[in-house]
Amino acid sequence: MADESTTAGTATETDTDPVEAPADEQPGTALAPTEGTAPALAETPLPMLPGEVQPHPTPVKYVMIAAILVAVTAAEIGLYYLQGDVPDGLIIVFLLTFAVIKFALVASWYMHLKTDRPIFRRFFVLGVVAAISLYLIVLTMLHVFSG
Amino acid sequence: MTMDQVAVPSEHDVVEAGHDAPATGMGVSNTKLAMWLFLSSDCLFFGAFISAYLFYRGRPQPGPHPADVYNIPFTSVTSFILLMSSLTMVLALAAILRGDYRRLRVWLLATALFGATFIGGQVFEFTEFYRQGFTLSKNLSGSTFFVLTGLHGAHVTAGIIWLLSLWGLATQGRLTSRDSERVEIAGLYWHFVDVVWIVIFTVVYLIPK
Repeated sequence: MADESTTAGTATETDTDPVEAPADEQPGTALAPTEGTAPALAETPLPMLPGEVQPHPTPVKYVMIAAILVAVTAAEIGLYYLQGDVPDGLIIVFLLTFAVIKFALVASWYMHLKTDRPIFRRFFVLGVVAAISLYLIVLTMLHVFSG
Repeated sequence: MTMDQVAVPSEHDVVEAGHDAPATGMGVSNTKLAMWLFLSSDCLFFGAFISAYLFYRGRPQPGPHPADVYNIPFTSVTSFILLMSSLTMVLALAAILRGDYRRLRVWLLATALFGATFIGGQVFEFTEFYRQGFTLSKNLSGSTFFVLTGLHGAHVTAGIIWLLSLWGLATQGRLTSRDSERVEIAGLYWHFVDVVWIVIFTVVYLIPK
Protein backbone atom coordinates (compact mmCIF):
# COMPACT_ATOMS: atom_id res chain seq x y z
CA MET A 1 0.00 0.00 0.00
CA ALA A 2 2.56 2.50 1.02
CA ASP A 3 5.39 1.15 -1.02
CA GLU A 4 7.70 3.38 -2.97
CA SER A 5 5.84 2.96 -6.23
CA THR A 6 2.85 4.89 -4.91
CA THR A 7 4.54 7.71 -3.06
CA ALA A 8 4.20 10.19 -5.86
CA GLY A 9 4.51 13.32 -3.84
CA THR A 10 7.63 12.44 -1.92
CA ALA A 11 9.44 10.93 -4.85
CA THR A 12 8.91 13.81 -7.22
CA GLU A 13 10.25 16.37 -4.81
CA THR A 14 13.67 15.32 -5.95
CA ASP A 15 12.84 16.01 -9.59
CA THR A 16 14.58 19.19 -10.59
CA ASP A 17 12.94 19.43 -14.00
CA PRO A 18 9.82 17.34 -14.39
CA VAL A 19 9.36 18.35 -18.00
CA GLU A 20 12.71 17.13 -19.16
CA ALA A 21 12.72 14.19 -16.84
CA PRO A 22 9.10 13.16 -16.26
CA ALA A 23 8.51 10.64 -13.57
CA ASP A 24 7.28 7.97 -15.91
CA GLU A 25 10.61 8.01 -17.68
CA GLN A 26 12.64 7.52 -14.54
CA PRO A 27 13.14 3.89 -13.74
CA GLY A 28 14.05 4.70 -10.18
CA THR A 29 10.77 6.37 -9.29
CA ALA A 30 8.37 4.28 -11.43
CA LEU A 31 5.49 6.53 -10.46
CA ALA A 32 3.52 6.37 -13.66
CA PRO A 33 2.21 3.38 -15.53
CA THR A 34 4.53 2.08 -18.18
CA GLU A 35 3.51 -0.31 -20.94
CA GLY A 36 3.87 -3.37 -18.76
CA THR A 37 2.62 -2.03 -15.45
CA ALA A 38 -0.30 0.13 -16.56
CA PRO A 39 -3.15 -2.12 -15.42
CA ALA A 40 -1.69 -2.68 -11.96
CA LEU A 41 -0.94 1.00 -11.33
CA ALA A 42 -4.28 2.09 -12.74
CA GLU A 43 -5.94 0.16 -9.91
CA THR A 44 -3.51 1.33 -7.23
CA PRO A 45 -5.07 3.83 -4.79
CA LEU A 46 -3.84 7.36 -5.43
CA PRO A 47 -1.91 9.37 -2.83
CA MET A 48 -4.04 11.74 -0.78
CA LEU A 49 -3.91 15.51 -0.55
CA PRO A 50 -3.53 17.14 2.89
CA GLY A 51 -6.77 17.05 4.86
CA GLU A 52 -8.36 14.22 2.88
CA VAL A 53 -9.71 11.28 4.84
CA GLN A 54 -9.79 8.63 2.10
CA PRO A 55 -7.79 8.07 -1.08
CA HIS A 56 -9.28 9.23 -4.39
CA PRO A 57 -10.89 6.64 -6.62
CA THR A 58 -8.60 4.92 -9.12
CA PRO A 59 -8.62 5.92 -12.82
CA VAL A 60 -10.42 2.66 -13.56
CA LYS A 61 -13.25 3.74 -11.29
CA TYR A 62 -13.31 7.17 -12.95
CA VAL A 63 -13.79 5.51 -16.34
CA MET A 64 -16.56 3.29 -14.93
CA ILE A 65 -18.36 6.38 -13.61
CA ALA A 66 -18.01 8.02 -17.05
CA ALA A 67 -19.57 4.93 -18.67
CA ILE A 68 -22.54 5.17 -16.30
CA LEU A 69 -22.87 8.90 -17.07
CA VAL A 70 -22.90 8.18 -20.80
CA ALA A 71 -25.53 5.45 -20.37
CA VAL A 72 -27.78 7.72 -18.29
CA THR A 73 -27.39 10.57 -20.80
CA ALA A 74 -28.33 8.20 -23.63
CA ALA A 75 -31.42 7.15 -21.65
CA GLU A 76 -32.35 10.82 -21.16
CA ILE A 77 -32.13 11.56 -24.86
CA GLY A 78 -34.08 8.41 -25.69
CA LEU A 79 -36.77 9.51 -23.27
CA TYR A 80 -36.98 12.90 -24.99
CA TYR A 81 -38.01 11.19 -28.22
CA LEU A 82 -40.80 9.31 -26.43
CA GLN A 83 -42.73 12.57 -25.98
CA GLY A 84 -46.25 12.04 -27.26
CA ASP A 85 -46.15 8.29 -26.67
CA VAL A 86 -45.60 8.54 -22.92
CA PRO A 87 -47.40 10.95 -20.54
CA ASP A 88 -45.41 14.16 -20.07
CA GLY A 89 -45.59 13.83 -16.30
CA LEU A 90 -43.84 10.47 -16.42
CA ILE A 91 -41.15 11.81 -18.77
CA ILE A 92 -40.49 14.75 -16.46
CA VAL A 93 -40.16 12.48 -13.42
CA PHE A 94 -37.70 10.20 -15.21
CA LEU A 95 -35.68 13.09 -16.69
CA LEU A 96 -35.34 14.78 -13.29
CA THR A 97 -34.35 11.45 -11.70
CA PHE A 98 -31.67 10.91 -14.34
CA ALA A 99 -30.37 14.46 -13.83
CA VAL A 100 -30.16 13.91 -10.07
CA ILE A 101 -28.26 10.64 -10.62
CA LYS A 102 -25.75 12.34 -12.94
CA PHE A 103 -25.37 15.33 -10.61
CA ALA A 104 -24.76 13.03 -7.63
CA LEU A 105 -22.25 10.86 -9.50
CA VAL A 106 -20.14 13.83 -10.63
CA ALA A 107 -20.30 15.57 -7.25
CA SER A 108 -19.58 12.42 -5.23
CA TRP A 109 -16.84 10.84 -7.33
CA TYR A 110 -15.32 13.48 -9.60
CA MET A 111 -15.53 16.30 -7.05
CA HIS A 112 -14.48 13.82 -4.34
CA LEU A 113 -17.26 14.71 -1.92
CA LYS A 114 -17.45 11.00 -1.12
CA THR A 115 -13.84 10.83 0.01
CA ASP A 116 -13.11 14.37 1.21
CA ARG A 117 -13.80 16.09 4.53
CA PRO A 118 -17.53 16.14 5.38
CA ILE A 119 -17.42 19.92 5.82
CA PHE A 120 -17.11 20.42 2.04
CA ARG A 121 -20.15 18.19 1.46
CA ARG A 122 -22.12 20.15 4.04
CA PHE A 123 -21.29 23.50 2.43
CA PHE A 124 -22.16 22.30 -1.06
CA VAL A 125 -25.36 20.52 -0.02
CA LEU A 126 -26.36 23.67 1.85
CA GLY A 127 -26.02 25.73 -1.34
CA VAL A 128 -27.87 23.20 -3.50
CA VAL A 129 -30.72 22.72 -1.02
CA ALA A 130 -31.01 26.48 -0.41
CA ALA A 131 -31.19 27.16 -4.15
CA ILE A 132 -33.76 24.43 -4.85
CA SER A 133 -35.93 25.39 -1.86
CA LEU A 134 -35.81 29.12 -2.50
CA TYR A 135 -36.64 28.96 -6.19
CA LEU A 136 -39.26 26.23 -5.81
CA ILE A 137 -41.07 28.44 -3.29
CA VAL A 138 -40.79 31.48 -5.57
CA LEU A 139 -41.96 29.61 -8.68
CA THR A 140 -44.83 28.02 -6.76
CA MET A 141 -45.92 31.42 -5.50
CA LEU A 142 -45.83 32.67 -9.09
CA HIS A 143 -48.07 29.74 -10.15
CA VAL A 144 -45.50 28.38 -12.60
CA PHE A 145 -46.45 24.77 -11.84
CA SER A 146 -50.21 25.25 -11.66
CA GLY A 147 -50.84 25.68 -15.38
CA MET B 1 -12.39 -3.14 -5.25
CA THR B 2 -14.80 -0.96 -3.30
CA MET B 3 -13.78 2.16 -1.46
CA ASP B 4 -14.42 0.38 1.82
CA GLN B 5 -11.85 -2.25 0.92
CA VAL B 6 -9.16 0.32 0.20
CA ALA B 7 -6.85 0.69 3.13
CA VAL B 8 -6.15 4.27 4.09
CA PRO B 9 -2.63 5.13 2.93
CA SER B 10 -0.02 5.98 5.48
CA GLU B 11 1.17 9.52 5.96
CA HIS B 12 3.93 8.80 3.46
CA ASP B 13 1.24 8.51 0.78
CA VAL B 14 -0.05 12.00 1.40
CA VAL B 15 1.15 14.35 -1.31
CA GLU B 16 2.78 17.39 0.20
CA ALA B 17 0.68 19.65 -1.95
CA GLY B 18 -0.48 23.06 -0.97
CA HIS B 19 1.32 22.88 2.36
CA ASP B 20 2.59 26.38 1.77
CA ALA B 21 -0.98 27.60 2.03
CA PRO B 22 -2.11 28.14 5.62
CA ALA B 23 -4.77 25.70 6.79
CA THR B 24 -7.94 26.96 8.39
CA GLY B 25 -8.77 26.27 12.01
CA MET B 26 -10.81 23.34 10.70
CA GLY B 27 -7.72 21.64 9.31
CA VAL B 28 -8.60 22.18 5.67
CA SER B 29 -6.90 24.48 3.19
CA ASN B 30 -8.23 28.02 2.78
CA THR B 31 -8.29 27.89 -1.00
CA LYS B 32 -10.26 24.66 -1.15
CA LEU B 33 -12.75 25.88 1.42
CA ALA B 34 -13.11 29.16 -0.47
CA MET B 35 -13.76 27.29 -3.72
CA TRP B 36 -16.47 25.16 -2.12
CA LEU B 37 -18.11 28.26 -0.66
CA PHE B 38 -17.98 29.94 -4.06
CA LEU B 39 -19.54 26.88 -5.73
CA SER B 40 -22.22 26.77 -3.05
CA SER B 41 -23.10 30.41 -3.72
CA ASP B 42 -22.98 29.82 -7.48
CA CYS B 43 -25.82 27.30 -7.05
CA LEU B 44 -28.04 30.22 -6.01
CA PHE B 45 -26.70 32.31 -8.90
CA PHE B 46 -27.60 29.74 -11.56
CA GLY B 47 -30.81 28.83 -9.73
CA ALA B 48 -32.02 32.39 -10.22
CA PHE B 49 -31.52 32.31 -13.98
CA ILE B 50 -32.99 28.82 -14.38
CA SER B 51 -36.05 29.97 -12.42
CA ALA B 52 -36.38 33.08 -14.59
CA TYR B 53 -36.31 30.90 -17.69
CA LEU B 54 -38.94 28.54 -16.25
CA PHE B 55 -41.15 31.47 -15.28
CA TYR B 56 -41.28 32.89 -18.80
CA ARG B 57 -41.15 29.69 -20.82
CA GLY B 58 -44.84 28.88 -20.95
CA ARG B 59 -46.10 32.47 -21.14
CA PRO B 60 -47.92 33.71 -24.23
CA GLN B 61 -45.43 35.74 -26.28
CA PRO B 62 -44.45 36.24 -29.91
CA GLY B 63 -42.60 33.32 -31.47
CA PRO B 64 -40.47 31.56 -32.25
CA HIS B 65 -40.34 29.75 -28.94
CA PRO B 66 -37.33 27.81 -27.60
CA ALA B 67 -38.85 24.41 -28.40
CA ASP B 68 -39.31 25.50 -32.05
CA VAL B 69 -35.59 26.02 -32.62
CA TYR B 70 -33.83 23.48 -30.41
CA ASN B 71 -31.60 20.98 -32.17
CA ILE B 72 -31.56 18.20 -29.57
CA PRO B 73 -29.19 15.82 -31.41
CA PHE B 74 -26.59 18.59 -31.76
CA THR B 75 -26.93 19.78 -28.15
CA SER B 76 -26.75 16.15 -26.98
CA VAL B 77 -23.36 15.77 -28.66
CA THR B 78 -21.97 18.95 -27.07
CA SER B 79 -23.38 17.86 -23.69
CA PHE B 80 -21.65 14.51 -24.10
CA ILE B 81 -18.37 16.31 -24.88
CA LEU B 82 -18.65 18.44 -21.73
CA LEU B 83 -19.43 15.33 -19.70
CA MET B 84 -16.33 13.61 -21.04
CA SER B 85 -14.23 16.65 -20.17
CA SER B 86 -14.98 15.88 -16.52
CA LEU B 87 -13.41 12.45 -17.00
CA THR B 88 -10.24 13.93 -18.54
CA MET B 89 -10.11 16.45 -15.69
CA VAL B 90 -10.07 13.77 -12.98
CA LEU B 91 -7.53 11.82 -15.00
CA ALA B 92 -5.32 14.95 -14.98
CA LEU B 93 -5.61 15.09 -11.19
CA ALA B 94 -4.80 11.38 -10.91
CA ALA B 95 -1.76 11.96 -13.14
CA ILE B 96 -0.31 14.79 -11.04
CA LEU B 97 -0.95 12.83 -7.84
CA ARG B 98 1.14 10.02 -9.32
CA GLY B 99 3.79 12.45 -10.55
CA ASP B 100 3.05 11.52 -14.16
CA TYR B 101 3.62 14.93 -15.75
CA ARG B 102 3.36 13.79 -19.35
CA ARG B 103 -0.18 12.50 -18.81
CA LEU B 104 -0.99 15.56 -16.73
CA ARG B 105 -0.22 17.79 -19.71
CA VAL B 106 -2.19 15.54 -22.08
CA TRP B 107 -5.32 15.41 -19.89
CA LEU B 108 -5.27 19.12 -19.04
CA LEU B 109 -5.03 20.01 -22.73
CA ALA B 110 -7.72 17.47 -23.62
CA THR B 111 -10.05 18.97 -21.01
CA ALA B 112 -9.48 22.49 -22.34
CA LEU B 113 -10.05 21.30 -25.92
CA PHE B 114 -13.28 19.52 -24.95
CA GLY B 115 -14.40 22.74 -23.27
CA ALA B 116 -13.48 24.78 -26.33
CA THR B 117 -15.45 22.36 -28.51
CA PHE B 118 -18.46 22.82 -26.25
CA ILE B 119 -18.16 26.61 -26.54
CA GLY B 120 -17.77 26.33 -30.32
CA GLY B 121 -20.97 24.29 -30.39
CA GLN B 122 -22.73 26.90 -28.29
CA VAL B 123 -21.65 29.70 -30.64
CA PHE B 124 -22.91 27.68 -33.62
CA GLU B 125 -26.19 27.00 -31.81
CA PHE B 126 -26.70 30.68 -30.93
CA THR B 127 -25.99 31.67 -34.53
CA GLU B 128 -28.56 29.18 -35.82
CA PHE B 129 -31.14 30.44 -33.35
CA TYR B 130 -30.57 34.02 -34.49
CA ARG B 131 -31.01 32.97 -38.11
CA GLN B 132 -34.35 31.40 -37.18
CA GLY B 133 -35.50 34.58 -35.43
CA PHE B 134 -35.03 33.41 -31.85
CA THR B 135 -32.97 36.27 -30.46
CA LEU B 136 -32.09 37.88 -27.15
CA SER B 137 -34.70 40.59 -27.64
CA LYS B 138 -37.38 38.61 -29.47
CA ASN B 139 -39.29 37.63 -26.37
CA LEU B 140 -38.74 36.99 -22.65
CA SER B 141 -38.07 33.30 -23.29
CA GLY B 142 -35.25 34.34 -25.60
CA SER B 143 -33.86 36.83 -23.10
CA THR B 144 -33.80 34.33 -20.23
CA PHE B 145 -32.51 31.50 -22.43
CA PHE B 146 -29.58 33.46 -23.83
CA VAL B 147 -28.66 35.00 -20.48
CA LEU B 148 -28.73 31.61 -18.73
CA THR B 149 -26.81 29.63 -21.35
CA GLY B 150 -24.52 32.59 -22.07
CA LEU B 151 -23.56 32.88 -18.40
CA HIS B 152 -22.85 29.17 -18.31
CA GLY B 153 -20.74 29.58 -21.46
CA ALA B 154 -18.84 32.41 -19.73
CA HIS B 155 -18.12 30.07 -16.82
CA VAL B 156 -16.85 27.41 -19.22
CA THR B 157 -14.67 29.99 -20.99
CA ALA B 158 -13.15 31.07 -17.67
CA GLY B 159 -12.49 27.41 -16.92
CA ILE B 160 -10.75 26.93 -20.27
CA ILE B 161 -8.46 29.91 -19.57
CA TRP B 162 -7.70 28.47 -16.12
CA LEU B 163 -6.93 25.02 -17.57
CA LEU B 164 -4.70 26.45 -20.29
CA SER B 165 -2.82 28.43 -17.62
CA LEU B 166 -2.22 25.21 -15.68
CA TRP B 167 -1.22 23.44 -18.88
CA GLY B 168 1.27 26.25 -19.61
CA LEU B 169 2.75 25.90 -16.13
CA ALA B 170 2.93 22.12 -16.52
CA THR B 171 4.66 22.52 -19.88
CA GLN B 172 7.29 24.73 -18.26
CA GLY B 173 7.76 22.23 -15.41
CA ARG B 174 6.28 24.64 -12.87
CA LEU B 175 3.41 22.37 -11.87
CA THR B 176 4.57 19.43 -9.78
CA SER B 177 3.02 17.00 -7.33
CA ARG B 178 3.43 19.65 -4.65
CA ASP B 179 0.87 21.70 -6.63
CA SER B 180 -1.73 18.93 -6.84
CA GLU B 181 -4.24 20.98 -4.90
CA ARG B 182 -4.16 23.68 -7.59
CA VAL B 183 -5.24 21.10 -10.15
CA GLU B 184 -7.88 19.76 -7.78
CA ILE B 185 -9.37 23.21 -7.21
CA ALA B 186 -9.47 23.93 -10.94
CA GLY B 187 -11.13 20.52 -11.28
CA LEU B 188 -13.78 21.39 -8.70
CA TYR B 189 -14.70 24.46 -10.73
CA TRP B 190 -14.72 22.48 -13.96
CA HIS B 191 -16.92 19.71 -12.57
CA PHE B 192 -19.27 22.34 -11.20
CA VAL B 193 -19.86 23.86 -14.64
CA ASP B 194 -20.49 20.30 -15.80
CA VAL B 195 -23.14 19.61 -13.15
CA VAL B 196 -24.78 22.96 -13.88
CA TRP B 197 -24.99 21.94 -17.54
CA ILE B 198 -26.52 18.60 -16.50
CA VAL B 199 -29.34 20.59 -14.90
CA ILE B 200 -29.66 23.10 -17.77
CA PHE B 201 -29.69 20.38 -20.42
CA THR B 202 -32.48 18.53 -18.63
CA VAL B 203 -34.61 21.45 -17.46
CA VAL B 204 -34.18 23.81 -20.42
CA TYR B 205 -33.76 21.46 -23.38
CA LEU B 206 -35.30 18.07 -22.62
CA ILE B 207 -38.28 18.62 -20.33
CA PRO B 208 -41.44 19.22 -22.39
CA LYS B 209 -43.11 22.56 -21.75
